Amino acid sequence: MKTILTIFKKEFKDITRDRRSMMMMFIIPMLLFPLLFTIAAVFTTRQAQKVRTKTLVVALITNGNAEAFREILLKRDDLKIREDIAEDIIPQLIRSDSIDAAIRVEEQFDAQIADLQRGQIHLYFKSSRDMDASRNRLTSLIRDYENQIVNDRFQRLALDRMIVDPVQVRRHDIASQRERIGKSVGGFLPYIFVIMCFMGCMYPALDLGAGEKERATLETLLVAPVSKIQILLGKCGVIVLSGFASIANSFIGFFIAVMLQREIVARILDALQGMFEISSILLVLSLCLPLTIFFAAALMSVSIFAKSFKEAQSIVAPLNIIVIIPVFIGLLPGIELNAITSLIPVLNVSLASKEIFAGTIKLPLLFEVYASLIALAALSLYGCARWFERESTIFRET
Amino acid sequence: MVIAKNIVKTFKLSRQQKREMGDGFQGNTIDAVCDISFTCQPGRVFALLGPNGAGKTTALRMIATMLKPTSGSISVAKYDTVTQSQAVRENLGFLTGNTGLYDRLTPNEMVRYFADLHGMNSADYNTRRDHLFALLDMEAFANRRIGKLSTGMKQKVSIVRTIIHDPDVIVFDEPTDGLDVVTSRNIVHLIRDCRNAGKTVIFSTHRMGEVSLLSDDLAIIHKGQLQFNGTLEDFQNQMQTPTLEDEFIRIVEQA
Repeated sequence: MKTILTIFKKEFKDITRDRRSMMMMFIIPMLLFPLLFTIAAVFTTRQAQKVRTKTLVVALITNGNAEAFREILLKRDDLKIREDIAEDIIPQLIRSDSIDAAIRVEEQFDAQIADLQRGQIHLYFKSSRDMDASRNRLTSLIRDYENQIVNDRFQRLALDRMIVDPVQVRRHDIASQRERIGKSVGGFLPYIFVIMCFMGCMYPALDLGAGEKERATLETLLVAPVSKIQILLGKCGVIVLSGFASIANSFIGFFIAVMLQREIVARILDALQGMFEISSILLVLSLCLPLTIFFAAALMSVSIFAKSFKEAQSIVAPLNIIVIIPVFIGLLPGIELNAITSLIPVLNVSLASKEIFAGTIKLPLLFEVYASLIALAALSLYGCARWFERESTIFRET
Repeated sequence: MVIAKNIVKTFKLSRQQKREMGDGFQGNTIDAVCDISFTCQPGRVFALLGPNGAGKTTALRMIATMLKPTSGSISVAKYDTVTQSQAVRENLGFLTGNTGLYDRLTPNEMVRYFADLHGMNSADYNTRRDHLFALLDMEAFANRRIGKLSTGMKQKVSIVRTIIHDPDVIVFDEPTDGLDVVTSRNIVHLIRDCRNAGKTVIFSTHRMGEVSLLSDDLAIIHKGQLQFNGTLEDFQNQMQTPTLEDEFIRIVEQA
């Protein structure tokens, strides 16, 4: 144990003096969430503001109909109405962004409305532009005008509006705010944590395996009176610590990001804080620990096999995708934690974390996830130790 | 003392290695070391001589327990390299010409690390460390990162790292390979000092100058097979060419 600790302490010192490892362990995980949140908040707020306040240039062809509607449009400060545009060039002008939208009222419109029939108004727009703002804003004005007509009709016919609205649906959502947010945000978070964990393990694993081989320092270690399993455990300990630190720092980063967002509604903030109670965090971290050991052992196996750091990188790069796939599946709707999914590595952590954050985790399934992850971690460490014992792995160039 | 008895090391070839061996090569394995025996005595320097790819490094790696012999046995300081590998490593120092060091550690940290791995207590470590650092004039850079040191300074750190635990057997695998004259001289001095201290010293080289300068006994290995094994005096007595180098080439070409 003392020897393992000696190796661990040396590797830890070595890694902490490496800027790239420190970036992966602290800087990136801590900055990622605040950066993502800030960029998303600034971008969406600015865009929404722009879309809300922008003056739309709208071509209007009424053919002498819908005068009330025309007046509504002309009174609006946020619309610039142009009545000098011919119908046939409307699509061309919208496509070239000369105007934002066009409204054309059919010739028989007034007569049809007067006869209690349905009149037609054509709305031309480009949905791909400005988050579909033209359609949304003009549709809302048309709806207001339509409401006016409907109210007039009810008055004219002396009818109560309720007769066309006989059923009132009152919705009672039993799910708590924490549950709702937990199921959505809780699914997204493991995606970041698992990838951070993998990235946090990756660089130290490559450096402590292939890097040592390349620098010819592994040979000196192999001649010291320590067993290979002691070397492996000392090294894997540092890799696990690095991966785990990345996850823990991601949590801290996420917490800082949430706290920095003043736009978040108070009740959502309460739910998020509820999600991040210490027991939930500890539970998720405890799930991540065996997963980190698995990553550490798997990456160390690759690293110790490779002849150089570069070769190790080229082998590890596709593994990123293998890790992302199960996490991504966990984000898909309808994929729930059950007896089968709780056995699938990575996916089980993703789904279980979602349930933990939502406060809906079932204990038997949680134990199944633990059991499968611990078995996987033990198996991968055993495999890595066997792999490390092989001469052909360490002296591949011979 | 090191005693190697009929050691053989067979490597399985990968597909790529087989291709590199050429069309004429048959089989899936190659004998890097083929049935060689030798003895290295304490207080004497044993030189293992051979051209590149002769099997010198493989033989030394077997002595250092990094590789296991396919057959035969090796004992180092009376311990078997396969069944008592840990005890062998406790009594062994191993230095190569391209020995790597941890660039992000200081010489002090590097040497302390290996002393700790050898289970040295603090008092023994401090005495030995002070002696070696003074001997090699290393105090001035003892706390600088190794990555920032010159090749000569690095080589001194390697030397101290190798002998900090005062091993009985010291193995040098092409120790002067790629080093400048001044740094090579440090190694030559170290080898002499070790011999004078009664250590068993084995070194591999392909430079005949170093052999005549340092060795008491020598073995010539080529294509994994022993071509000569005896004292330097024996070798000189049976030479058929005027110089050691010519004789070495003659033996290798004849094999």
